Amino acid sequence: MASDDTNLDPVTFEVLKNAYVNIVDQMAEQIFRTCYSFVIYSRDFSSALCDAQGDTIMQGSGDIAAHVGTLHYTCKAVIDHFRGDVHPGDVFVINDVYLGGTHFNDTRIVRPIFYRDELLGFAQANGHWADVGGAVPGSFNVNAIDHMGEGLRITPTRVWSKGVCLEDVCRLIASNTRAPADIIGDMQAQAEATRVAEQEICRLVEKYGLPTIKRSFGAVQDYVEVLTRQRIAALPDGVWETEDYIDVDPGSGEGLVPIRVQMTIRGDTVHYDLSRSHPKTISSFLNACFGGSFAAVVAGTKMQFPEIPLNSGFYRVVTMDLGPEGSVVNATWPTPVAGFCSGPFEKIMNSIFELWAEIMPERAMACTFNLDYLLIGGRDGRQSGHKYFMWYDWMVGGWGARNGRDGWAATGPVFGVQLGTQPFEGQERLAPVLTRQNELRVDSGGPGEFRGGMGVEKGVVMTQIDRTVVSYCCDRERSVTWGLWGGLPSIPHGVWVNPGQPNERYLGSLFSNVGLETGDLVTRPSAGGGGLGDPLERDAALVCEDVIDGYVSIERAAKDYGVVVKEIDADLAQYEVDHQATLAQRTYIRANRLAWLAQDAEVIAAKYRAGELDMLDLIRTHGVIVHWGSGELLANTTRQFRAMLMRRTVPYWGKSVAAVGKDASVTLQTA
Amino acid sequence: MASDGIADTAVRVACDVGGTFTDICILNERSGRMHVAKVPTTADPIEGVLAGITAGGVALKDMILFSHGTTLATNALITRRFPPAVMITTSGFRDVIEIRRGNRDDLWDTYKEMAKPYIRRRDRLVVEERVDYAGTVVVPLDEAGAREVATIIKRRGVKTVAICFANAYMNPANERRMRDILADIVPDAVASLSSDIMPEIFEHERFSTTVANAVLAPVVGSYARRLESRMHDGGYQEDVLLLHSGGGVMTTRMAEQFAARLAASGIAAGAIASRFVAEAAGFTNSIGLDMGGTSTDVSLCDHGTLRVTKEWFVEYGYPICFPSIEVLTIGAGGGSLAWIDAANSLRNGPQSAGSSPGPACYGRGGTSATNCDANVVLGRLSDRLAGGKVSLDRALATRALESGVAGPLGMSVEDAALAVLKVANANMADAVRLLSIRRGYDPRDFALVAFGGAGPLHGAALARDLSIPVVLVPPNPGVTSALGCLLVDIQHDVTKMYLSNVADVSIDYLEESFRELEIEGRERLRNEGVSDDRMVFQRKIDMRYLGQWRALSTTVASPVTSLDEAVAAFHAEHGREHNYSRPDAPVEIYRLSVIATGLTTKAAFAEFELIEEAAVPDATRSVRFDELPQAIETPVYDRDRLKAGMKVVGPAMIDQLDSTILVPPGVTAEVDRSLTIVMRIPLA
Repeated sequence: MASDDTNLDPVTFEVLKNAYVNIVDQMAEQIFRTCYSFVIYSRDFSSALCDAQGDTIMQGSGDIAAHVGTLHYTCKAVIDHFRGDVHPGDVFVINDVYLGGTHFNDTRIVRPIFYRDELLGFAQANGHWADVGGAVPGSFNVNAIDHMGEGLRITPTRVWSKGVCLEDVCRLIASNTRAPADIIGDMQAQAEATRVAEQEICRLVEKYGLPTIKRSFGAVQDYVEVLTRQRIAALPDGVWETEDYIDVDPGSGEGLVPIRVQMTIRGDTVHYDLSRSHPKTISSFLNACFGGSFAAVVAGTKMQFPEIPLNSGFYRVVTMDLGPEGSVVNATWPTPVAGFCSGPFEKIMNSIFELWAEIMPERAMACTFNLDYLLIGGRDGRQSGHKYFMWYDWMVGGWGARNGRDGWAATGPVFGVQLGTQPFEGQERLAPVLTRQNELRVDSGGPGEFRGGMGVEKGVVMTQIDRTVVSYCCDRERSVTWGLWGGLPSIPHGVWVNPGQPNERYLGSLFSNVGLETGDLVTRPSAGGGGLGDPLERDAALVCEDVIDGYVSIERAAKDYGVVVKEIDADLAQYEVDHQATLAQRTYIRANRLAWLAQDAEVIAAKYRAGELDMLDLIRTHGVIVHWGSGELLANTTRQFRAMLMRRTVPYWGKSVAAVGKDASVTLQTA
Repeated sequence: MASDGIADTAVRVACDVGGTFTDICILNERSGRMHVAKVPTTADPIEGVLAGITAGGVALKDMILFSHGTTLATNALITRRFPPAVMITTSGFRDVIEIRRGNRDDLWDTYKEMAKPYIRRRDRLVVEERVDYAGTVVVPLDEAGAREVATIIKRRGVKTVAICFANAYMNPANERRMRDILADIVPDAVASLSSDIMPEIFEHERFSTTVANAVLAPVVGSYARRLESRMHDGGYQEDVLLLHSGGGVMTTRMAEQFAARLAASGIAAGAIASRFVAEAAGFTNSIGLDMGGTSTDVSLCDHGTLRVTKEWFVEYGYPICFPSIEVLTIGAGGGSLAWIDAANSLRNGPQSAGSSPGPACYGRGGTSATNCDANVVLGRLSDRLAGGKVSLDRALATRALESGVAGPLGMSVEDAALAVLKVANANMADAVRLLSIRRGYDPRDFALVAFGGAGPLHGAALARDLSIPVVLVPPNPGVTSALGCLLVDIQHDVTKMYLSNVADVSIDYLEESFRELEIEGRERLRNEGVSDDRMVFQRKIDMRYLGQWRALSTTVASPVTSLDEAVAAFHAEHGREHNYSRPDAPVEIYRLSVIATGLTTKAAFAEFELIEEAAVPDATRSVRFDELPQAIETPVYDRDRLKAGMKVVGPAMIDQLDSTILVPPGVTAEVDRSLTIVMRIPLA
């Protein structure tokens, strides 16, 4: 605690703490303004100031959530590998997922900070390089069986020595990627950003003296620790538990793959136990190493305490146990993990939200859409010589509904809400891919007393392509974005080609290298957020407003909310609630909905195949999950999905969110 | 200086309407002397403007120029108080402005809301049409559908419409045809076309700017017309000039068409005034520090040019991409609260006591310590402000600091007050650092213009922290922003996308593109009533390293004969702003722009003879300075009685109606010919 340190007065402490925030933000600003990778430009980067032990003193206020809690690991890895051989003007690079990295694209540049000849700490600039080689463009290889198939693994490596760029090393790294010139550009941009930090720290040393600065590095971490402990200590002790699911382990047949999170608050600490998650890695790249899992634990917890700055002080209070190595959340060499951000990361984060909803019901939030990443790569028929093109795309989507408020519409993923989408006008210049639609998807928000945020539908047409394939990294086509406290799920993720046409194809949420032809329409939604609270409790007037804005269709207003809305004059946007019919409809749903969830799943699946029921009927009314293309029933998955609904949704039906929130507090007091 | 034929009563008047006060600057054309007035802002701001002019003792018929900065447009956007508007867009893209880029500025707080789009989904209508990336019409406008949409707009009685089509920056034909059909069916509707408003790539930024323009058009248009007619009724015969965010003015004729350009009007004024004050004192490099009650605006002027940005918004997620003077606003002002957080650290802001209840010393019920209270406790602020109209209660300030800061931290009240200001100053210094050092500017080459009510109290300490050698305090720090409105030319910015590797550029085509932009600029200036001989055009090229995302702007000569100089300038600018350049890397042109300026006749400000006369203090009070171990009885000067050439040796305080100046020990404050106070700060 700052004021306990007799040598560091509270004013100097506050000034220096703010200066460190300022420094990491200066690094971020520099990277943003000079980067080459469009992924970095979309703000997939992070910056940190670390002390001489590699612990984080301050992390950027604009950092991507999926990077937090990992920058000290990579800094420590560099320290371990180069102990006794670190000099002023050196710069190191590392992206090793087995040493605390997230996935290979997230490449960290680490510069020691010297004042004269004394090593004070390290500045780290981490950015998602657009490509780090491997079998597929963008280095997201769904089919990788080990990390060799994913991309270049960079163990701690020196790239500048005493101020001189080691061009041979840089060239070797860049040459193993698909955009060598951009990689060199980004490496330099990141290295220059770390130089900014070094200059600023030296300025502060000149002003405040070396002892003060060195002491402040520890004091800033102590400060965060004290703040966090105070907040945790004010909460009652207890143990809470939940689970969420990855869709499938392609190697083990259909069936959801559990991620189990148990949280224990004891005194002023919070501990997460993930050891009972699926015990083996799955045969896709939706696995996480310890860095990726810890990032989720840190980010999920941090979202409960938005005002607390992030540094290693936080990690002294928030701890985790991943259990034995080799599990889906604790993968080891050489398991591929590039998809950690679509797989375990998302599930851990959303589980943590659910657990905290019990403790702080006033900040409850249902499940949020899943991060996706779509790549179309091939030859551009518009150009002579049909040059290679890559069209990368990721979606924004709906966030979970909250206590007293609907969810955010069309927002970046829990992976990092600053991850902006790309403008299609820019994409169209660079690739023969024309965007046909980029629109909120009607009925995508999970129904509830508070509605999940709206997802987006993006559809693109291949204009003049040649030798072109599409790959996709997502999840939650089966483990559909769920509702909480009686709220209903949103919609499944998944890619369709030419929907409604004779040549329709359903490709699902995880695939690679599927061939495309000129004229093909490739379209997919992002899910909306899950609903919060019983949808039959939603104010009918709000449902009517949603119909007016086209967020909810008249049909689903009746099915999901039991609200009967009549069109008066669509041109004038005039609609009204039929109150009498609404009363009757709500009574009818209340009386039958539990039975609908128990109907023979195969019968329901057959009705889907026959076109009598649609996707939303299956998910929201019957809790049935099928292969959305063929309509084939997924029996194990359906059993698990229905069990999930019986746990998260059914027990809360008939209660208002206000009442459930109060109950949550009551549960808490007796826990 | 005064030329014949100018009446002694002829004045130029500038007016800055803020949230609380309407400030008026009046410059006598013949004498060059300026005086000011301050009146409360009124519900209909026009009443306040007229009241202010009257309070300044000016008759409308004596005004030879009236120029106006206003937060009208900003407020309309924040409060969503504007008449209903409709957006017409390409089928499939109804939600571009709601999807935005999808990102948020607050990353961690799941209960913090994003602002909603300016036009609701129900008011966004679509038509079939499509232009591709190259400007080819791949789907012609569905004319039947277009008429249907226009008919709906007619039925809804909406009078302002944003027309935003995909890739319209490459080919405006479909947008224009839509506008014509709309005009046929709803003749009195005003249309804002994305291809007119901001013909640049990236749909969200272009649509968002266009939508802001459409919703503001009726607000700004009717305000401008009413203001002008009230002015003309009163006998004012010239144009009413409106300050826009780019640092120029528009006449009311163009204001409706480019309404969103007024969205940062209020903020631009302070930066322009700061540049003027510095230049009058002989400094072409200056940093403006405008510190008010709740926030501080920082701007930077390099060699006479204010930094401009195209990334500007009133609410995050809804960019308004007209070039705007870059101003960094931070939540640090006189009313910012000092507080102790849960880990016992002393914090400052961003919460503010605001004007109600205000700082504890105001005696209006505030009990939390603010920067203002700290200044009162230290004797830096007198217990009487605004010539005695406001009295400050030192006992209340002391109590607030005692209970809020001194007690918890176990220090004396005086030390607590010093600590509070030290943290506040450090936060402001960090903001200045972000705008200066981080962009490659060395503060030692700059003068700090300290204004706003609270700026002159903090200026010297900030300058010392940042190694800025000179602090300038203009004659009327509290109304300096209004002065900014007096000083500018009519200005329009026209741009064109020009994505091309420098190595592949045809100089002839480039020259032709610039000429087209100049024709457009000339057209706009003619609409403003500017004669050809008063038009000036400046050409700029935005460039970046091939593969980079952000571009930097450099000025090029007219006509263009070679790009060598521009490319060299780009490398140099990249080196300055980002610490490094890549002279061997290929460079790409991103955008061309022309700044079309209609020169107005500049006002002549009076300069005063420097006199050699000692300044005499009017009083003394006990003041604690950072540099001295205890409070000392300090001479206090009345600024109104300080004449050009007089010197005040610190430690000293200078009180004036709308501000207080702190002159630290060892610093000499000198009144220059334009009555600006110049403090030279010895470097530590």
